[in-house]
Formats: sequence, C-alpha cells, structure tokens
Amino acid sequence: MLRIVYKRKIFFIISLVLFVAAIIALSLWGLKLGIDFAGGTLAEYSFNDSRPDVGQVRDVFEQASIEDVQVQLAGDKEIVLRTKSLNEEEHQELFAVLKNSFGADKVVENKFESIGPVVGNELKNKAITALLLSSLFIILYIALAFRKVSRPVQSWKYGVGAIIALIHDLTIVMGIFSALGHFLGYELDMFFVTSLLTILGYSVNDTIVVYDRTRENLFHSAGEKFEDTVNRSINETMARSINTGFATMLTLIFLYFFGGESIRIFVLSLMLGIFFGTYSSIFIASPLLVVWQKLGEKKK
Amino acid sequence: MTIIGRYLMLNKDEILLDFTLFYLKFMAVTRKRTGLTVVFIIILTILAVLFDGHISPVKEDGRTWSVPEWMPGAAFWNKFDFHLGLDLKGGTQLLYQADTSKIDSQDADSAVAGVRDVIERRVNAFGVAEPLVQINKTQEGGYRLIVELAGVKDVNQAIQMIGETPLLEFKEQNIDYSGEEIKLTAEQQKEMDDYNEAAKKKAEEISQRALAGEDFGNLAREFSEDAGSKDNGGDLGWASKGTFVPEFEKTIFDDLKPGEITAVPVKTQFGYHIIKKAEERQAESGEATATINGTTTAVAVDNREVLSAHILIAIKTAKDMVPPVDQWSNTQLSGKNLKRASVQYTQSTGEPQVSLEFDDEGARLFEEITARNVGKPVAIYLDGEPISVPTVNEKITGGKAVITGRFNLKESKDLVQKLNAGALPVPINLISQKTVGPSLGQKSVEQSLVAGLWGLLAIAVFIILYYRLPGLIAVLALMIYALISMASYRLLNVTLTLSGIAGFIISVGMAVDANVLVFERLKEELQRGRGFGSALEEAFKRSWSSIVDSNVSTLITCGILIWVGTSVMKGFAITLSIGILISMFTAIIVTRSFMRLLPAKLIEGQRWLIWRGKKSNK
Repeated sequence: MLRIVYKRKIFFIISLVLFVAAIIALSLWGLKLGIDFAGGTLAEYSFNDSRPDVGQVRDVFEQASIEDVQVQLAGDKEIVLRTKSLNEEEHQELFAVLKNSFGADKVVENKFESIGPVVGNELKNKAITALLLSSLFIILYIALAFRKVSRPVQSWKYGVGAIIALIHDLTIVMGIFSALGHFLGYELDMFFVTSLLTILGYSVNDTIVVYDRTRENLFHSAGEKFEDTVNRSINETMARSINTGFATMLTLIFLYFFGGESIRIFVLSLMLGIFFGTYSSIFIASPLLVVWQKLGEKKK
Repeated sequence: MTIIGRYLMLNKDEILLDFTLFYLKFMAVTRKRTGLTVVFIIILTILAVLFDGHISPVKEDGRTWSVPEWMPGAAFWNKFDFHLGLDLKGGTQLLYQADTSKIDSQDADSAVAGVRDVIERRVNAFGVAEPLVQINKTQEGGYRLIVELAGVKDVNQAIQMIGETPLLEFKEQNIDYSGEEIKLTAEQQKEMDDYNEAAKKKAEEISQRALAGEDFGNLAREFSEDAGSKDNGGDLGWASKGTFVPEFEKTIFDDLKPGEITAVPVKTQFGYHIIKKAEERQAESGEATATINGTTTAVAVDNREVLSAHILIAIKTAKDMVPPVDQWSNTQLSGKNLKRASVQYTQSTGEPQVSLEFDDEGARLFEEITARNVGKPVAIYLDGEPISVPTVNEKITGGKAVITGRFNLKESKDLVQKLNAGALPVPINLISQKTVGPSLGQKSVEQSLVAGLWGLLAIAVFIILYYRLPGLIAVLALMIYALISMASYRLLNVTLTLSGIAGFIISVGMAVDANVLVFERLKEELQRGRGFGSALEEAFKRSWSSIVDSNVSTLITCGILIWVGTSVMKGFAITLSIGILISMFTAIIVTRSFMRLLPAKLIEGQRWLIWRGKKSNK
C-alpha cells in the first residue's frame, strides 16, 4: 500500500509550487484571448497553386493601405489573417485585395470570423457565470450526497475539498496556457472555456469517486484512524483513477494529432486537465480531509 | 407492422415520451430478468443500427445520413434528420444588433419579430436550405438577431439583402391591366419568329455535330442555354416518368434507346433540345396498387428511370417580347406613412381585427386612395410580396383604418407583425460574422471522426488487454453505446457541431469510467475470496453510488452550460449529457446482463480470463 496520506507534505509542496507559479504567470502575462473574447477578425484563405509568402501578402495590404493585418502561414496552402473587427464592406475590400493580387480563382475563403467587442465581452461574462454557477451547484450536490457522513469530517467539507482540488487543477492549466500564450502565441477561444468546464466536471468526478470509497469505508471501520481509512480508500481506488484517466487520455492523444487544427488547443487543455485532475484527486483532495480533521482534533 | 403503423401517426414528441416511459419501466424490471434484458438489448442494438444507416458524405439537401430504402420502415427512420452545424457543413452565422431606440418599448417585441419575418422571407427567397433566424434578448434588454445560412455561395449578397430596410407599399388596381393575353405587334411577331428560326438552325447544326461523334458533354458546356445542366455536360440525372414535359418524356422513354442521340432536335415550350439517352433501369419500388370501388388490385406501372443529357437552344415566347402588365400600380403611400399597426377586437363580436394608424401625410394619401377605390381591392405589399388585399368599403378620413375579415388571432398577429416591419424603423447592425467554407467543414468532420474512431479503437485495445474477458464485454457495451448515441442524436434532432463531437468523445471516457469502476471492484471482491457470481453482483451494487455521484456532477455542469452557455458550449453539453445518460444504461445494464450470462464454472476454472490483480499484502 502506498503511504500517500502520510507523505502528504511532499505533494502539498509540489502543488503549492505549481499553483504559485501559475498565479504568477497569470498575473504577469494574463491569458491571451482570441477574437471570441477580445473582438476582432480571423480569416483563413487557401491558395490553389502557389502560396505567396508572408512578406508578399503584407506588401499587398500595405499598398492597398489596409493597416494592422497580421499574416501567418498555416497548413500547406493556407494563410491566416488577424485584424480588428471588420464590417462587411471592409471584409469584401480585404478579400478583393487578395483576389486582385493573386488571381480571383486562386484564392478561396475558408473561414471568416469577425466579432464585435460587445459580443466578446458578453461571452466573457457568460463563461465566468457558467464557471461560478457550476462550482456552486457541485458543492451543494456533494454536500447533499455525503450528508450521512458527518464524522469525523462534516459533509460540506467534502464539497469544499473537491472544490479546492478543482481550483488547483483549473489554475494550473490556465497558468500553463498563460505561458503558452506568452511564449508561443496560443490564443484562447470558446473551445478553451468549454475545456475548462469539462476539466471542472472531470476533476470533481474523479475526486468524488475517492471520497465515495472513504464514505463507504467509514461505515465499517470501527477503531481505525481516519488517516488510515483515507489512505486505504485512496489505494483501493487508485487503479480506477489511473485507468480511466489513461483511457480518456488515449482518445485525446489521437484527437490531438489527427483531430484538426481548430480543436487542438481544446484537446491539449483537456489532456492537461485530466492529468492534473487525476493527480489532485489522489494526492491533494483526500489528504486535505485528513488535515482538516487533524485541525479539528487540535482545537479540542 | 402495427407498432410501426402506430408510430407513423405520432409526432416526434409523442414518440420520445413513449420511448422514455418504456425505458423507465424497463429499468425497473431488468434488475432480475437477465434473459429478457439481453433480448431487449439485442433488439435495441438492431434498431440503432437500422437507425444509423450508412455514413455518407454530406448530400446537397444538407442530409448526411439516411437509411437505405430497402430496409423495413426506412421512410419512418428517415423522418429524423442528422443535423450538422455550420462549422461542419459550412455556412455563415450573422449576428445583428437590432436598434429599437426609435420605437415605443411596448412595440419592440412585435417590431423585432417583424424584422425576423422579413429576414426569414428574404433568406428563403435566396434559396438557402433550412435557414435559421432567431431573436435573442440580451441581459441588458437589447435585441439580437442570429441568422444562420448554410451553403450560401455569395455571403456578401446575402448580407446586403438582409440589411435592406423592409419596403411596405400600398398599391391600387392598375387601370391598364386587362387580364387578357398579350397581343404582339407585327414587328414584334417578326422579331420573335426570326429569333426562333435562328435558334432552330443553330440546334440543327449542333445536332449534326453531336451525331457526327463530337463529345456531347463538351457541346453542352459550350452551347447549351440551360443554366442548370450546362456545366455538367447537360446531364439531367436519373428521372422517372412525370419529371419532364410530355414531348421530352416521349423522346427519352419511347423513342430513344440507351446510347442514342436524337436525329432531329425536339421542340418543347422551352426551345429545341438535342437529347442523349445514356441509360435506362427499373426503379426499385416495383409494385403499385390502385383502389377502385374499395377493392385493391396490383397495377402494372411504368417504373422505368432514364439517365439522360440534353443541349437546350432556347426560343422566345410572347411573354419574352412584351413584359406582362402588372395587376397593381404603386401609390405614394408607403411604410414610412404608417405609424403603427395593432390587433384590436371588434366591439360587437369580439373577433380580432387589424388596425392601421397613419401619420398626417399618410392620412391624406389614404383618404385619396380609398376615395378612388370604393368597392375595389387595394393591396399591401411587403418586399414585393402581397401580404393583404382588403377591399375598400368607403372613403376613410382621419388616418385610422381597420382591416376586418375572418382572422383568427394568430393570423391577425402575423399581419400586424408584417405591417409593423414596414412601419416601425428597426435598423439592424451586423456585429459579428462567422463563415466557414464547405471544404473546411468537410475536412473537420472527417478529421474528428477519424481521430475519434482511432481513439475508440485504442481504448478498446487497452481495456481488453487489461481486463481480459470483462474488458471484451465492456467493449461490446461501448459499441452498443456508440450506436445508440448516434441514433438518439437523430431522434432528438441534435445539431452536431465540432464541440458536439468533442462532447461525444468525452462521454466515451465517462462510459469507460463506469466499466472501470465495476471491474476494479470485481477484482477486489474476487481477491476477498468470493465466487464469480456473488463477486459480480457485489461489484455492481457497490460501484453504483460512485457512478451516480460522478455522473450527476457532470450532468450539473452540462445543465448550467445549456442554461447560460453560448452555442459552442451548448453543443458540447448536449451531446455530453445524452452520452452520460446512455452510458449509464450501457455500462450498467448491458455489461451486467452479458456478464451474468457468462458460465461461472468456466471462469472459476480458467482464472486467466479475468485480471485479478496481484495478491495484496495486507
């Protein structure tokens, strides 16, 4: 049996370091928001024959005095343009410049998204509301599901434990994306928020399974110390936590490599979330209960 | 047959309710009766397979999947469509902000609804399959209009058209309109005849070239004046009788043999056709019955289908020479003179009627028009379409009028909405636009499906290697799970988007989790020295609470996403929650039933069939 609960300080320190690093990254660099939230235009064009290079495209826009267009190459024959939010006339103007310079039948518009700043702000609010509401309801549900367990730790503390593990997972994932955004220019879109919410579900889900076993073991553990019951429960559910995490990770790996560009960040975020979610449900969430119980004992 | 017959009469909601009730009853009885359960699972799986049909590329009408015609009840299954979102089939989503600042707040709902109707009609006229125009109220009380257009080639034109202010016109009968046939002057007649003679010559020339062996498709591409088939080399596709005009039909069904080209161009109302009959076949539904005086008899029906191509050289008719005189002529009265329209009730009978209120100029114009047209109809047009043609009873002064008639409440509200769309100025402003080209969408579907399938395969291999025989059963359950999920997306009309596919794939993870929980528990119970049968029951019983708790917490998240989320979040949450509900069924009931069927003695004898873990050293 692994002595996880007894060595909890090591894991707490690891998590604390990661957590603090994530907070620092987030406060230094923030999250690099894509046009879904910040507003702006993202357009993808593909070229049938030969793709012009970034410099050529830039020159063309400069000559037409269209300003502030970022040009990027993507895939084999695509270019991606980023600029401020455009109205339909400006959109047509942009497209016309490409068609006139590189041949009308050579350029195909694969994707055009232009989002006004108002809409972006609304989405941000929606995302935050969804995150907060979900957390609240999950605490309530856990408190309800664990209501029969009140000794030695009250049922709502399981809820709080699950949420602490959750905040830990989400913050670290966001911290990593803050760094990825800063160094590699990863932009976050609507999918990223969806992934955060999935991580939220998964993390809580994973924690609950371990708690559930603790709850079950508490009913027939007369004379056993709380610490020992928790440690036993972690060990008994460990294979399940790892296997489920591994199975989900397998699918995600395939999605990451073959699932296409548009969901890659989403999938990466899910992979990280599932990794930390599994980690925290084993090494953080349950040991926290023990800490809480010990604090209670000292007061007496 | 009777069951299917019964379902054919129900609408979708009733069918869903029926299935749900059946499902719940079924969950209640299956606790004990394994045999019955297995039979049910097999039936359900077969239904799901039928339902899923075969995967085919996106068809023109936007359908992606269909059950082959020969399957029993295909017509019933195909009632349910498999919807792809714009990000997968390609299309444009436009988001408009409606500016309601210039109208009374009490009229805002109706006015914005009017704008929606106008946009809907314009988009329909543009030939978009299943356009979606929705009103969204924002938290601040503003109005948004979401317009989704699938498969529009010229988005720019669509945007221009949607953005135009609706035009409401009042028209009176045209004095010049006689309703008689058009008479051509001698000059016009000659011009028409000359043109048609030239067309005939041209057709004969092309006909000669085609008969001499020149490529028919190339000739069609070069000369044909049928815009619909020209670019396909004149190809008209497979057609059965009744598709074309009689002259054309006679040629392809009776005169020509497969492979032949008409010796002389065939004349129809459209012009001269040079026709090539490529192939002929018998349609699959070979039987027909006719009911005469209550007795039903089989009737021989000509059910041949012909694949043909043509080159059209168009001719002119009298209508092309002189445009017909419009029945209605414009008046100066228009939407800008109409202050508002509303629904009122007659004092005597309480029936709904539509009241109009004009401004000063409108009142004057309306008085003149009604004075001229007592006893005659006037027409109200919105965007060039007549929306109401009331008859004037008397001259109306004072700028207030009512339109009465046998309206029900809905009809009168509809009319008011249309009138207000032209009367109340609600400028709309495009604030966000998302366009995905069809090729990119197609690529996304293929990529995510392929990746998802590989992922599923990897999970299957892992589970079988790790858990062995139970793993194999879990994989079987997982396959049933995938089939039922697909079937329910169609049944529930879920619009499948990229995020929806992601939700489905995550839900597979959840489905696996339930099985993993049970198998780990089974391992423990076996280690404690129980026999296979009792260990199995214990494992399912003990893992139940974990499965429920973890799935409920995910369902809570999904519920909130559907409640407050954006369309991307909703798409994800819907497939995920459907997945969770189905996986609870497959992971528990399907797996348990099949496991119970396993011969316990064999398993006790062949210990390698189940992974039992290492001997624990406690």
